[in-house]
Amino acid sequence: MLGKLTWNAIPWDQPIPLVSASVVFLIFIGVIVWIIVKGHFPYLWREWITSVDHKRIGVMYLLLGLVMLLRGFIDAIMMRSQQALAFQAEGYLPPEHYNQIFSAHGTLMIFFAGMPIVIGLMNFVVPLQLGVRDVAFPTLNSTSFWLSASGAFLVNISLLIGEFARVGWLPYPPLAETTYSPGVGVDYYLWAVQISGVGTLMTGVNFVTTILKIRAPGMSYFRMPIFCWTALASNLLIIAAFPVLTAALAMLQLDRYLGFHFFTNEAGGNMMMFINLIWAWGHPEVYILVLPAFGIFSEVFSTFSRKPLFGYRSMVIATLFICIVSFCVWLHHFFTMGAGGNVNAVFGIATSVIAVGTGVKIYNWVFTMYGGRIQFSTPMLWSIGFIVTFVIGGMTGVLLAVPPADFQLHNSMFLVAHFHNVIIGAVLFGALAALTYWFPKAFGFRLDEYWGKWAFWFGFLGFYATFVPLYVAGLLGMTRRLQHYDIAMWRPWVLAAAFGVVLLFCGAVAQVIQLVVSIRRRHELRDETGDPWDGRSLEWSTASPPPAFNFAVLPNVQGEEPYWTIKRRSIETQQMSAEPEYKPIHMPKNSPTGFFMGFFATMGGFAMVWHIWWLAGVAAAGIYAVFVWFAWRDVDEYEIPAEEVAAADRARRRVRQEWLDANAKAEEFA
Amino acid sequence: MSDHPRDANPNVEDVAPGAIDAEEYTIREGILGYVIGLVLATLLTVVSFYVAKSHQFWQPSVPIALVVLAIAQMGVHLVFFIHITTAPDNTNNILALAFGVLIVTLVVVGSLWIMYNLNHNLMPMDQMMHMQRGL
Amino acid sequence: MSTFEALQYDPYKLGRGYGEGGDGRDYATGHGERGPASARVIVGYGFWIFLLSDIVLFSCFFATFAVLRTATAGGPSGAELFEPWRVAAQTAFLLLSSFACGMAAMATRARSHLWTQAGLFVTGLLGLGFLLLEAQEFATMIVGGNGPDRSAFLSSFFALVGLHGLHVTVGLLWLGTMMAQVYFKGFQTKILGRMLCFNLFWHTLDIIWVAIFTVVYLIGVAP
Repeated sequence: MLGKLTWNAIPWDQPIPLVSASVVFLIFIGVIVWIIVKGHFPYLWREWITSVDHKRIGVMYLLLGLVMLLRGFIDAIMMRSQQALAFQAEGYLPPEHYNQIFSAHGTLMIFFAGMPIVIGLMNFVVPLQLGVRDVAFPTLNSTSFWLSASGAFLVNISLLIGEFARVGWLPYPPLAETTYSPGVGVDYYLWAVQISGVGTLMTGVNFVTTILKIRAPGMSYFRMPIFCWTALASNLLIIAAFPVLTAALAMLQLDRYLGFHFFTNEAGGNMMMFINLIWAWGHPEVYILVLPAFGIFSEVFSTFSRKPLFGYRSMVIATLFICIVSFCVWLHHFFTMGAGGNVNAVFGIATSVIAVGTGVKIYNWVFTMYGGRIQFSTPMLWSIGFIVTFVIGGMTGVLLAVPPADFQLHNSMFLVAHFHNVIIGAVLFGALAALTYWFPKAFGFRLDEYWGKWAFWFGFLGFYATFVPLYVAGLLGMTRRLQHYDIAMWRPWVLAAAFGVVLLFCGAVAQVIQLVVSIRRRHELRDETGDPWDGRSLEWSTASPPPAFNFAVLPNVQGEEPYWTIKRRSIETQQMSAEPEYKPIHMPKNSPTGFFMGFFATMGGFAMVWHIWWLAGVAAAGIYAVFVWFAWRDVDEYEIPAEEVAAADRARRRVRQEWLDANAKAEEFA
Repeated sequence: MSDHPRDANPNVEDVAPGAIDAEEYTIREGILGYVIGLVLATLLTVVSFYVAKSHQFWQPSVPIALVVLAIAQMGVHLVFFIHITTAPDNTNNILALAFGVLIVTLVVVGSLWIMYNLNHNLMPMDQMMHMQRGL
Repeated sequence: MSTFEALQYDPYKLGRGYGEGGDGRDYATGHGERGPASARVIVGYGFWIFLLSDIVLFSCFFATFAVLRTATAGGPSGAELFEPWRVAAQTAFLLLSSFACGMAAMATRARSHLWTQAGLFVTGLLGLGFLLLEAQEFATMIVGGNGPDRSAFLSSFFALVGLHGLHVTVGLLWLGTMMAQVYFKGFQTKILGRMLCFNLFWHTLDIIWVAIFTVVYLIGVAP
């Protein structure tokens, strides 16, 4: 009746997971109860859960990503502390548990922190920058989010009910086959990643279509902001790479559930094919994460240097170059696994070549700053920190790209330090820069600068304090994923890294304090005009937060940096452009489709993990039913009357007129 | 906000993939297109089966011939059933298709090359045992 | 003169900006400045992109099939198991089904309810015939002890051909749902958009079948 599920699935005999899972579960239930008791549920349902507005969906993605980032960070703290204690000792985490922790750390960080944060930012910003009202398929967008949330839920519930995978963040066979991983851990991983993978693929389709087919009138390709170009490249990679992930994991699922022999030891299975396919996805995946980060930095450098981006055309070419070449390097993740000198040489050279694209970008960013009037606000600090950090990480990457060197350093702590260097340096720093940069647009008030700077310094220095010792440990021969170790030479470095994590923890605390303080001081920090940073692209022409319809009238784009030109012309001529003719606007209706898809997907995933076949059938039927019900609706849109549009827009124009009047004489024409 | 007419721009509106531009064809022409596609596809299929089964051809060339025939038939489907053309209004659709073909080529050729080398250097246990048993 | 004369602002140094030549005309750099595309184009293009991702999915299974084609684990190879007449029949069914789908599209153009439903019905029937032949083949092999758990080769065969069959099954479910929608709602814009997507899907499945019968059944059984 309940498949493999019994009461023993709850880890009664393991205090750490039992207590932590119970605490999290109680907090989760507590929050839900509080919401319902305080009467917030109707608002949440109407305005957020069933929302198909890209801005709301973007914020929800960011919330999911940031919470999972903290959860993954806690795993990291446990790993560092375990290693700090486990020199010629057992530490406090038994191997079966430690293995789940490093597996969960990687899985959460890549799939449920990195991807949601990046996708959330693209969701919020891209339609605004393109000067349009929403993405191509709004309800599909909502479904994508809820499927990601479903995957995150499954990974987290494994802490309380059952166990998580012990095989690392990529489930290499034959270890991940039923013979050697008979428990439910690998299944939890597989269903969580497959379900959220479908969501991500749909995001890819959505955004490629939006960027290529839905832009404001006059916005040709070379008039798009650079963030939209990097979003396009990232989403093209999603479409190209995620099917490969789906295929590789599906084959593993077929092996586990139906006794297929794709990757087994016996009957002709070839486990290297899994490694090959999973990395054919895995390498483009890191570029999916990093390209939007590059776009964020382009925007920040340009805005906070008060100069147009240097070398826009070469940036576009470099972005597309990286997009294509990222599909030609994947073997560098398994140089040591026997492909031979010729194959290794080709992929090693390709890996070095891809650095050229990034090099072009670095030079362009530096030249953007040169000659500008730089403002060292928090986003700029993160960006400059990124340049230093990413160059170092990139160089260790090119070092690893040399196969003979990689034979020494594969799966050592040097490798671990390298990939954290590039991911933290680009994706995390980029996310924090973007958060500070676009927060006022989303919520109407800026984040507190003082705590932002503390968070930056703790984060920046903490990163180096944690990972430079790990580089050294790797060069001294320390391998990754060690639950305990006996070699005295590594000890000081492991301890140093643990200290570094303390600094990173302070950074995380400072970040949370920043949020709390900013909310408390939100009236002082209010963004009145909608343009707190003197921005250059179209999202800064809207109010903060923008109305549901984004723009009362779609802007008519007549050149590059469209908002900058409009703004300068207004300042020079001392008047705003003429008031447009307001017409009623049709916006897509909210829909619970996404939420119900996520609900049934979670039900189905959980059922499949525990072999509860009838429940999986119910879930499949539910998904089909929701789909038909959505397809059957007659009314897709609702109308916002012209008066309402006019009222919102006139308020926006009035504030800007006031700003113009107040600042006219003081304006300096650059 | 602006009075500039959009007609200064020579680019035409894109066509959705799979659609024939509505103004320009009669039902008769449309049906004829599908019939031609059906005939060509059937012809290519019959030839494929014949080439595969008959012993009249030099055997090493058969796989290549079959691949060429398959690509030709895919082209017939794309042109006559999915209505892909080389007109400027179809450029985006062709670019997307080209991107897809590029990725497929990289994945398939890359995987085959890598796996061939891996198998050569590290034969899977099973195959090794078979070879040892002389199977 | 202010440097922000919008007419000459060329921040990215592209050399062609607004109003080159001073005649006030808009020389947009690049393509696609007409504003958002129509809903039909958006839906069709989005679905086309999805189909390309689906093709990449299939290519992974093709690659795996190619890699594992000799891993028969002492069991039978394709030449010993496949029946050429069945493959030919399946190919005929699917090709005719594609043709019928095209005819249904023509009937929709003519806004004829009767012929549209007839075309869709024949499409579905032929598709069902294809599936039955395939199911029969699978059943025979499994009952004979040559199921996907027999060897890696058979695993990759069942997965590749089965994935295609799964797509056809989902397609038939979609087809049935759409026939109901056309019946109850008529030829609304939204419904027409969906029929366009279904057409693309069905034709693409036939394209993939061309690859399957060539690689699996023709090249794959060569001595």
